[in-house]
Amino acid sequence: MSQGHVAEIYLVHLHASVYSLFHRLYGMYPCNFVSFLRSHYSMKENLETFEEVVKPMMEHVRIHPELVTGSKDHELDPRRWKRLETHDVVIECAKISLDPAEASYEDGYYSVSRKLCTSLKHHQTDPSASSYIDTQSSYGTSTPYSTPRLTLSQMPGQLPQILSPQSTRLSTEPQQVTIWSPSAVCGMTTPPTSPGVVPSESSQSASQPYSKAFGTSGTCCSLELGLPGGKGTPLGTPATSPPPPCTSDDFVHVSLPSAAATPPKKEDKPDSGRPLLYRQQNVINSDKSLDIPSSKSSVTLSDLPEFLGGLSFEDSAEKDREEDAISKEISEITTDAEHMVPRGGFDSPFYRTNESLSGSQKKTHSAASSVQGHSQTSEPLTSLDKPGPEGARETPKQTFTPIDKPCGGPGESPAGNREGTSGEPSILTPSPCKVPAQRRVVFGSGQPPLYEHLFEVALPKTAYLFVGKKTEELLKKAKGTQDEDCMSSTSPVEVLDRLIQQGADAHTKELNKLSLPSKSADWTHFGGSPPSDEIHTLRNQLLLLHNQLLYERFKRQQHALRNRRLLRKVIKATALEEHNAAMKDQLKLQEKEIQALKLSLQKEQARYHQFQEEHDNIVAQLHSQIRQLQHDREEFYNQSQELQTKLEDCRNMIADLRLELKKANNKVCHTELLLSQVSQKLSNSESVQQQMEFLNRQLLVLGEVNELYLEQLQHKHTDTTKEVEMLHAAFRKELEKAKSCVQQQSQKLDASQKRIAELESQLAKKDHLFLEQKKYLEDVKIQARGQLQAVESRYKAQKRITQAFELEILDLFGRLEKSSLLKKLEDDKTEAAEAAEESRLDCGNEDTAGHSEETMGRNGETKPPSTRGSSSSKGGSSSELSTPEKPQNQRLSSRWDTSVLLEPSSTVPLTVGSLPSSKSFLGMKARELFRNKSESQCDEEGVTINRLSDALKTELCKDPSMESKAPPSPDNLSPKLQESSVGQLHIMDYNETHHDHS
Amino acid sequence: MADDSQRNFRSVYYEKVGFRGVEEKKSLEILLKDDRLDIEKLCTFSQRFPLPSMYRILVWKVLLGIIPPHHESHALVMKYRKEQYWDIHHALRVIRFINDSTPQVDVFLRMHQLESGKLPRNVAFPLEPEDEVFLAIAKAMEEMVEDPIECYWLVSCFVNQLNSKHKDSLQQLPKILEQYLNIEDNRLLMHLKACAAMSKLPYDLWFKKCFAGCLPESSLQRVWDKVISGSCKILVFVAVEILLTFKMKIIALNSAEKITQFLENIPQDNTDAIVSKAVDLWRTHCGTPAHSV
Repeated sequence: MSQGHVAEIYLVHLHASVYSLFHRLYGMYPCNFVSFLRSHYSMKENLETFEEVVKPMMEHVRIHPELVTGSKDHELDPRRWKRLETHDVVIECAKISLDPAEASYEDGYYSVSRKLCTSLKHHQTDPSASSYIDTQSSYGTSTPYSTPRLTLSQMPGQLPQILSPQSTRLSTEPQQVTIWSPSAVCGMTTPPTSPGVVPSESSQSASQPYSKAFGTSGTCCSLELGLPGGKGTPLGTPATSPPPPCTSDDFVHVSLPSAAATPPKKEDKPDSGRPLLYRQQNVINSDKSLDIPSSKSSVTLSDLPEFLGGLSFEDSAEKDREEDAISKEISEITTDAEHMVPRGGFDSPFYRTNESLSGSQKKTHSAASSVQGHSQTSEPLTSLDKPGPEGARETPKQTFTPIDKPCGGPGESPAGNREGTSGEPSILTPSPCKVPAQRRVVFGSGQPPLYEHLFEVALPKTAYLFVGKKTEELLKKAKGTQDEDCMSSTSPVEVLDRLIQQGADAHTKELNKLSLPSKSADWTHFGGSPPSDEIHTLRNQLLLLHNQLLYERFKRQQHALRNRRLLRKVIKATALEEHNAAMKDQLKLQEKEIQALKLSLQKEQARYHQFQEEHDNIVAQLHSQIRQLQHDREEFYNQSQELQTKLEDCRNMIADLRLELKKANNKVCHTELLLSQVSQKLSNSESVQQQMEFLNRQLLVLGEVNELYLEQLQHKHTDTTKEVEMLHAAFRKELEKAKSCVQQQSQKLDASQKRIAELESQLAKKDHLFLEQKKYLEDVKIQARGQLQAVESRYKAQKRITQAFELEILDLFGRLEKSSLLKKLEDDKTEAAEAAEESRLDCGNEDTAGHSEETMGRNGETKPPSTRGSSSSKGGSSSELSTPEKPQNQRLSSRWDTSVLLEPSSTVPLTVGSLPSSKSFLGMKARELFRNKSESQCDEEGVTINRLSDALKTELCKDPSMESKAPPSPDNLSPKLQESSVGQLHIMDYNETHHDHS
Repeated sequence: MADDSQRNFRSVYYEKVGFRGVEEKKSLEILLKDDRLDIEKLCTFSQRFPLPSMYRILVWKVLLGIIPPHHESHALVMKYRKEQYWDIHHALRVIRFINDSTPQVDVFLRMHQLESGKLPRNVAFPLEPEDEVFLAIAKAMEEMVEDPIECYWLVSCFVNQLNSKHKDSLQQLPKILEQYLNIEDNRLLMHLKACAAMSKLPYDLWFKKCFAGCLPESSLQRVWDKVISGSCKILVFVAVEILLTFKMKIIALNSAEKITQFLENIPQDNTDAIVSKAVDLWRTHCGTPAHSV
């Protein structure tokens, strides 16, 4: 802030920009910024600038929470800002600011107070509650800053507090004041009834309000600090703003915003019961208000008087023509919607003017609460401050403010104040100075003591002491330099605002008054400086203003964005509300349903209970029945058990009885047996008795006889009794013997009977076996018969074979004889006879030895059978024929024998005669073999044989011839053949007949 | 039958459908299993059913009495038979009626002659008609039976049976033939009578030789089954069937000689059918032999 380089008229702009820069830096990087400040301004050479520039700016700033929680590094983190948009950042910064033009109390800072106010509203009495609402509305209307937001806030009712930080802040503050003010607690509430009247007056006349306002302020004890400041400014401003105090009405309206910004702060001080923050602020403010004026005065003293006026006239006059038109158009719209919907937050100037009017009017009606009083008193106060100097700039300010209303307003005032105070203290002094003096007197004497005990409670002592000191100082100052430094707390923006407004007012006034050509003259007349410089500075100022304008526009855009977002939120909220309502409706419906269901449930439950009871009853009945039945069953069971035991007993009894019965039966049988035996015995005994009787009779007879004999004996011998006794004994013994004999015999009978039965069974078995054996035997017989048949057939076959053999042999013999006969005929008769005999013998031997085969093998047919008869006879005897045929053979042989017997006589010679045959090898041998025998035979039999042999020889010789069919036969062949054939046939027949017989 | 319980229940249907001899083999086996063979039952069986060829020889032997009904003595009896055979054979060789070159049939003939005591005194003796019959039968039997011993015994026993049992009935057969031919085919009979062939029919061939040499052995067996089992009437029906079968040809022939000649050499194509028909005819006229059981 080197004053030398820059024209003083720019300082305001620069100050404003620096101010905003300070806000941003502090808002965004508090730690870094503070550390920088600390390092930079710890040096002594910078201390002055700190005092002058930085310190006043710090008045408008709260302690940043980041200073406590954050760190340097954390601040520099770009992520912090990435999520946020620019307007968010701006708002973040605005939260820190205490400057009403800048500040924003969106989230955390107002919440506490708001809760309190909402909660307290209900507790308050009716008039007070109504007064609160009124205060809010009055505030909204009366305070220019809150207007843009207030207009919004008034529509939805409660919402304004949430949505508009400024308005809330403004509105809450008063509430807090009311709620927490120690005065309220102490019962010291002194609602300034006058303020209601004051505004109306103030609005009507610029001069009157001063007195009245002071009067009111005097009545209300809260405005001590603010008033001095407020006084200060009016005092100062007239100085800075040379323009004549004309159009007080307008001026009042215009001044309202600046005044409104201050009063709340000033109100804080007297209400020491507020939160610490405010108090501190106030303290700071008070400090500033104490300190700054001096420094500022130095600044302002130098240049302000010159260019403040010029500024306002030059630039604003030109530029604001155009904007004036725009603003007027807007004002028309806004004025129409004055009370209803003062939408244009930006158009606040117009709105303010109107609203202040309406608000003042309202205040006349209500104006019950002390807060109202304060605020309204403050307004007049501010209006008191400014009327003189700022009256000229009033109209231009109206047009101008729409653009930079929040920043410009507050920023301007301090500067203006300073300038005013520094430049023209004389102007301000006359009227306002007295009033504060009076007030302070009142304050110092009357009021403070009342609060002191509260201070002790609420604040640390130092604070209290500090406050006390300050008040003393202030009192002193007020006495000395009343107007000194009330404006110190005004922000540079306000100052700038005010400057521009004043400039604009002056400009318009002048332009209106002056004709166009005289304008140039006016320039010179007002500023006193050469016009070239003036133009240059004005251009620069214009540029600066343009920049400022751009900056504000940008800001406005950001706010518009933010507003849109907030509107969206609102819409969302309303939608959510509607949704909530719908949900509530649904909920109600559901509740109804639930109730209905509950009812039905109850009914059902009741029914269910009924059923259950019935069921229980039934169950109980059934249970009882079951119990009864079980009882019955048990009884039955017991009975049955008893019966069973009885039954078992009975059974046992029966078994016993049966056993007994068996025993009895056995006994009976036994007795029967005995009986039979006894009966037998009885019969025996009867017989014996009979015998006995018989014997007795005999005995009697014998006795009689004996008596007779005894008598006889007595005659001779008296003793015969012994004999009788002996006889008795003998009889008895005999009887016993007989009895035993009978027994033995009966036993024997039994035994024999048994034996008979056994034997019979054995007999049957044996019969069976016998039959089986028979069968078997038959079987075997048949088998044997079969075999026997085979054997028999074989035997027959054998017989046949032998017959065949015999035939064959006979045939062979026949042939042999025939041949030998033929030869014999040729031989001699004697020789022949001998040979025949020999041959006969030979043949018989040969036949037995089986030479026949050899002979057959040699020459079967050629050899004539010579000795047939002998061979046959011998064959018959020695043949292999079996015995049964012997008789036949014997007969046969006998037959042959007869013939043979006949033969020898004849055949012997034959055999002898058949010697020629012996010439052959066989014959020779045979002869040798049987020579001896034949010789002996020959010797014995002699002639008879020869004869027979002859006869036979003739017969036999004819046979072979016949068989061999030898055609040439001698004369005597035929009869012999017949014979032989007959003989053969005979033999055959005989054989057959015999066979048949057999 | 005695063993109905053991027979297949299907057997009844087999016969209905026309299959014969399906179950006979089994029942015959059952019959042959008896230790003491029931010859009566075997007779009935062979009359009623055709004998399976594998048991034919055995049944014949039993029926002809070559082997006794007892199984135990079979071996022994056969041994005897064999010895007897060889004895006779040997004897014939000894008396030089036969030698190695002698045909088997002649050997059988000589043996039979020897056994029956009809052996001629010389080999050169002319053969008698009964010897011719024997030879024909033996020739046929030789074809049927492999073992010469068995063959001999079967032939000799068969011939003996014919000569002993059926001698009288055989003489009646021509009359019976005429009678049944009259029933079956009067016209043929008339034709034969007209030709005077009735007396000249080959009765010897038919009834004495039992068609040996007339029919082939396969057909002959079936005829002989019946004959051996005791029914010689079958011969008549075979003859009737032959006449009926060759009726057209016989009618075509006019002279008795030609007819006789034809009948002595009938074609041997369908003799099986002839025999089957003959058996059927025999059953129809003489009733089922099963009734006799």
